[in-house]
Amino acid sequence: MSSSTVLRELQRDFEAKSNDLSKLQKDIAKNHQVRKKYTIQLGENELVLKELDILNEDANVYKLIGPVLVKQDLAEANANVRKRIEYISAELKRLDGNLQDLEEKQNSKKEAMFKLQERIQSLQAGKAKA
Amino acid sequence: MAAAAAAEMEKMSVEQVKAVKEQADMEVNILQDSLNNIRTATSRLEVASSALEDLSLRPKGKKLLVPLTASLYVPGTLDDADKVLVDVGTGYFIEKTTAEGKDYCDRKINLLRSNFDQLVEVAAKKKSIADEAAVILQAKLKHLAPAT
Repeated sequence: MSSSTVLRELQRDFEAKSNDLSKLQKDIAKNHQVRKKYTIQLGENELVLKELDILNEDANVYKLIGPVLVKQDLAEANANVRKRIEYISAELKRLDGNLQDLEEKQNSKKEAMFKLQERIQSLQAGKAKA
Repeated sequence: MAAAAAAEMEKMSVEQVKAVKEQADMEVNILQDSLNNIRTATSRLEVASSALEDLSLRPKGKKLLVPLTASLYVPGTLDDADKVLVDVGTGYFIEKTTAEGKDYCDRKINLLRSNFDQLVEVAAKKKSIADEAAVILQAKLKHLAPAT
């Protein structure tokens, strides 16, 4: 194989890898956004739970469902909020695992690209000398 | 801590110091925005608290005007000024007495105030890092310029 064909293949590989890398970075950014949203919701739900906890048994709790304010049972409201908190925490843990995975892939991509670039540069230097 | 950061930045190249400064500036802006949001929320809660205070002084059956839209008010009478519905978040409303409602507002205001104070501290630290970076960047650029 002539050195210029090798060079072109390496450069194409480099381009493909850099596309992969930018996709990975977009995925990481999206992960951060979703994480932020969930963290805010988790905080809000925990505040609500605290308020519900300090209520008397006979206090009235209402939930806004669309345009309708519906009376809720205190125990039911408690259970609902707790379930939501559990769900959001599980989602956040899943997202954390996802993020770690994505970051590892990003780092190994960067390394591979770096090595490729070195090979390309040394080939180009070799060609220039010849 | 600022001294250690400054020592680190002295060793870095102009590009890196610039990156550090821009990063720190961005963080300071975000923190300032958060501080503003907290201030707005706190003042809204204070308005709610004083409205409750006012409401508790009104006698039952008092005539009042109820806003239906921003420009339409309808006459009505005050029914029970003792119970209020408090929006606690995520679509839940809790019926409380006026006193409990005021207590809720005060509690939230205190929580916000302590968050505000914590944030102010963090923001101050970040700002000092950003300023350090700016100073070092200036020094490095001046150092480079006469050499060329």
